[in-house]
Amino acid sequence: MFRFIHTADWQLGKPFAWAEPEVRSALTDARFDAIDTIGQMASEHSVTHIFVAGDVFDTEGPDPRTIVQALSRMERHPCKWWLLPGNHDFVRAGGLWDRIEARLPGNVSLIPEAQPCELDDGVWLLPAPLVHRHQNDDPTESFDTMETPGAILRIGLAHGSIVDFGAQGETKNQIAPDRATRSGLDYLALGDWHGLLQVNSRTWYSGTPEVDRFQRDEPGKALLVELEQGGEPIVTEFRTGKYQWLKRDWRVDDFAGFEAERAQLLDECDPATTLVRMTLTGITTLTDRVAMLSALEDDLAHRFRYFSYSATDLVAKPSNDDLAAFSAEGILGAAASTLNTRVQEDGPESLIARRALERLFVEHAKVIGS
Amino acid sequence: MTMQLERIVATNFRKFRDPMVVEGLGSGLNVVIEPNETGKSTLLEALRAGLFVRHGTKNQLAQSFMPFGENVAPEVEIEFQIDGERWHVAKKFLKSPALEVRGPKGRTSGDAAEEQLQALLGFERSTSRDADLDSYGALGLLWVGQGDALSVRAPSEIVRNSVRSTLEAEVGSIMGGATHDAVRAAVDKQFADYWTPGGSIGGRQKSARDAAQTAREAADQATSDLAALDRSFAELAEKQARMKVLKRELADERDVQARADLVKSLETARAAALMLGQRKAERSAAQADADALSEFAERHKTAVTAKTEATDALADANAKRAKVEAEVEDAKEKEESARQALSSAREVRAAAKSALADARVLTSTATRHSAIADAKRRHEKLIELEAELVESRRIEAASIESQTMKSLESLERDVVTASAELSAGSTIIELIGEAPHITVDGDAFGDGPRTIVQDTRIGLGGGAELIIKPPRGTASAQAQLDDLNARLASELSQLGISNVSEARTRVDAARDAKANIATLDARIEAITQAVPAVDLGAGADTLRKFVASITESDTAAPATIPDIAELEKRLEDAEDGLATTDGIHQAALEALRKAEEKNRPLVTAETSARSTLASAEQQIATIEADPRFANMETGLFAAREKAAAADVAWQQAQENAGSLDPETIERQIEKIDKRAESARTQATELQLEVARLEATIETEGGKGLAEAAAGAEEEANAAQRLFERVTEEAATVKLLRGTLEHARLETSQTYVGPIARRAKRHIERLLPGCDLSFTEDLQLHSITRAGTEEGCSNLSRGTQEQLAVLTRLAFADMLLEKGRPVSLILDDPLAYSDDARLDLMSDILTEAAERMQVILLTCRERAFRHLSGTHIAIG
Repeated sequence: MFRFIHTADWQLGKPFAWAEPEVRSALTDARFDAIDTIGQMASEHSVTHIFVAGDVFDTEGPDPRTIVQALSRMERHPCKWWLLPGNHDFVRAGGLWDRIEARLPGNVSLIPEAQPCELDDGVWLLPAPLVHRHQNDDPTESFDTMETPGAILRIGLAHGSIVDFGAQGETKNQIAPDRATRSGLDYLALGDWHGLLQVNSRTWYSGTPEVDRFQRDEPGKALLVELEQGGEPIVTEFRTGKYQWLKRDWRVDDFAGFEAERAQLLDECDPATTLVRMTLTGITTLTDRVAMLSALEDDLAHRFRYFSYSATDLVAKPSNDDLAAFSAEGILGAAASTLNTRVQEDGPESLIARRALERLFVEHAKVIGS
Repeated sequence: MTMQLERIVATNFRKFRDPMVVEGLGSGLNVVIEPNETGKSTLLEALRAGLFVRHGTKNQLAQSFMPFGENVAPEVEIEFQIDGERWHVAKKFLKSPALEVRGPKGRTSGDAAEEQLQALLGFERSTSRDADLDSYGALGLLWVGQGDALSVRAPSEIVRNSVRSTLEAEVGSIMGGATHDAVRAAVDKQFADYWTPGGSIGGRQKSARDAAQTAREAADQATSDLAALDRSFAELAEKQARMKVLKRELADERDVQARADLVKSLETARAAALMLGQRKAERSAAQADADALSEFAERHKTAVTAKTEATDALADANAKRAKVEAEVEDAKEKEESARQALSSAREVRAAAKSALADARVLTSTATRHSAIADAKRRHEKLIELEAELVESRRIEAASIESQTMKSLESLERDVVTASAELSAGSTIIELIGEAPHITVDGDAFGDGPRTIVQDTRIGLGGGAELIIKPPRGTASAQAQLDDLNARLASELSQLGISNVSEARTRVDAARDAKANIATLDARIEAITQAVPAVDLGAGADTLRKFVASITESDTAAPATIPDIAELEKRLEDAEDGLATTDGIHQAALEALRKAEEKNRPLVTAETSARSTLASAEQQIATIEADPRFANMETGLFAAREKAAAADVAWQQAQENAGSLDPETIERQIEKIDKRAESARTQATELQLEVARLEATIETEGGKGLAEAAAGAEEEANAAQRLFERVTEEAATVKLLRGTLEHARLETSQTYVGPIARRAKRHIERLLPGCDLSFTEDLQLHSITRAGTEEGCSNLSRGTQEQLAVLTRLAFADMLLEKGRPVSLILDDPLAYSDDARLDLMSDILTEAAERMQVILLTCRERAFRHLSGTHIAIG
């Protein structure tokens, strides 16, 4: 039996510059920490080989600190790391891999060429490193003709999208979905797709070990794979990701609905390690909208590791009560009425007028409250 | 609600140690006329102190109430009515300060009394150390101190609020009050976060914009750096690919082999080219020999043919000529005889011509002679006629003009008339007998009767004289007759004649002479006509000149004149004979010409044939003398054979040379050499470029540019999003603030209307047709007259003061209408008004006094004493 870990898409050096600095550094550190997590997982399961199926680095020109962090983290685990260049960190003359080759620790192997390699008696690794950012032909095509004398197990390692993903807009570096069967592979470890995905019994995407965008709620994973000649692979998934990235679109028409959603969200995650991007839609009263936004800004936003929201489509219609509260206010009432009229008019000013009315409402509420 | 002050007493107040009392103030107009220093202004001070200044205060203002240098307690006592309810206020300052207010509901004192007064009169507690008119409320505005009314100013906040609250019912709106102010302050603060006071982008908005811009620039820079590195990579890959191709090319042996082969073929080609040249020359020479010999043989053949043909032609020409020669001879003889006949005929004609000519000369001479003789005769006649003509002209010239003639005849008639008149009245004396001693006026008496027309002395001899005196009329008749006779004699003497009948004779003679002149002219013209035969023209002068030119020889006449006609007939006959013989000769000449013409081509043909023959014979002789002639046939054959052989050899050489052009081969070699050279140069250059690029990549590649660029791009985008959010926020705040400000202005404006209406009522009287503009704090801002707007501060002092009083009156009116306690006090007002305005203002104030109490304090007696109302003195 041959046992290894399949991981991919580390995307080390991803900037996360859209976030505030402390979130940014937390996310950056988490990606390095994921290497340690995988290293520990290897130790725990007595795994010798770790295959990284491309996109170790987010760019072909990472910061020197990123490189040093990556290599030093790998170095401290007693397993063998196999790094495959992906589309983000493709191989080219004088490029990233040429430069770090000399600095590689002994337990880290770079795969710059599509040459089969015998890892153990009869266990062959067939790699398909990318030599361009975008490659129009199937990079795993050469697996068909790779000589693996005395092979007991043939393990493919590649980076690219399965043809079927075409519908989702990824068209480069396409890999045939039946590559494992065609090329007689016992397992095909793939990278590029950031979520865990089983293509068929012998073909898997491990996904990224640490999620890097608001696309799926699941945290990052790595795969422990056990192979036996002639048998189906046994694939076990492990959580490696520290952070959960949640994307929420709430349709709320009153504060009660908002409260229900809020309670559910807090219930289903650990806010301290959760990033949230939220969109609020709905039609509500001015009072409710103000209440919701202050709940978001004054409470919810502070609970999560990161929180951002858009309430542009949460439309507040001032109720008669809202306006009545103003009517006794003379100038304020006149201003509120003017703004409300402008809100009803179409045009770019309408949105600004709505905000202004809301602001007036808030400021008025503050004064009354005090 | 009217407020009526009734009595004021100030004690120990300012300069009044003793109580200063003003009492008896009425409900309408009260006029206090006092000189300066009497205490009018102190009265107003005391009023204000008594009502508005807190009794417990020890501030500067309260201190100032104390008489200078004395330590006594100022006291003020005021009695007034509001809506018929009586009030009594007694206030004491500084030393044991006290306040007591008695009103319809009893008595209060101390602070409670202060509050009661505040509520009653609508003022606020002042925190100022000095007098603070603004805190005194409506009465602060309406009680106008000396000089306070000199400029138009806004009413205090208390008055405005009071006005607004009183107007609420009228304008139906409520100001925001404290809530509005707090909200507005918060919005203003937020506005200041994003905008400059002038409304330009500032604060957070500016920082966000700058940050976005800086981040964008950094991102662009990073992207550009990365792109440069990527270009280096691309360039390196491309250069390396080219290098690979180049190296393969340089390592390729094919060019070397091709070059060696080309060098070898170049040698072969050069030898073949040399041989070809030689063969070509040989071929040309052989061909030339053969051609020359062939032409020689051809020439001989041509010459022999020419000789044969010429011989035949000569024989033919000779035969034809023999026949034509005989015809020519015959024609020559005929022409000879015709020529002789012609010659004879010519002689005959010449003789006839000569005879006729001679005869004609003789005839001409005879004609001339007779013409000359005729001319002479006519000349003589001419001379006679001309003499006659001269005489006639003279007579004609002596004629008397008809005018003169008429005058003469008239005079003559007058003389006859005068004579008749004279003789009718005159004395006629006659001496009969011989008495020579008797004289008349000294003269002899003479025969016949004498007419005495004047005193006439008849000498009787012996000294005796008989004087005869004719009648007086006779004397005048005589004088007239004498005068007429004298005029007649004068005219006659001018004409050179003695009497009138002679004049008539002269006139008749002249008329005859004139007729004669015409006749003579005609006759002269008739005898001086032209005679062409002797070249004589018409006219008398011509004739005279002709006669003068005649010489003696011209006059000789020929002896005989031959028969011209006979001679002319003879000439005509001779001409006819000549014509006939000439025709014969012409025919003979034509016949001869024709015969000779027939002969001429024959002669030419013969000459030509002879010449051709000679030439051919000469040529044959020359050719046959040439040594080549002997073996001409064999020589020609040999030469042709030789030429054919040379041609074959040349073709062979051409084939040998074939496509081996040395120049082409040289070019090919050159091309190969150049290619190799270029490849080597390129390789060197590429090597250099590759090294450079590798060095660049080595340096730049390690800097993490891609990660930096990705980060910078995300940062720039984040900064841009932040900026957009901030911009939106700023726009929101700006809109909110603008809307609030607009609402505030609109609301304020609703209060201005009622004030303006009331003020206009008064001001119209002062400035008819004006329009008023108030600011939102209810200050009169400008007035517009005849379309021109004037700011209040630009108006004359007098007008400003008047407007200040009138706007106060407007406020007073309004507050009055709304039930506020109102009274108007003017201390020394209208100091700058002219008499007319003063009257008008006095009227307005008098009218106002019908609605409210008005107190005028003044030192100007003359200006105000005529006013009705209560006149009060300060006691």
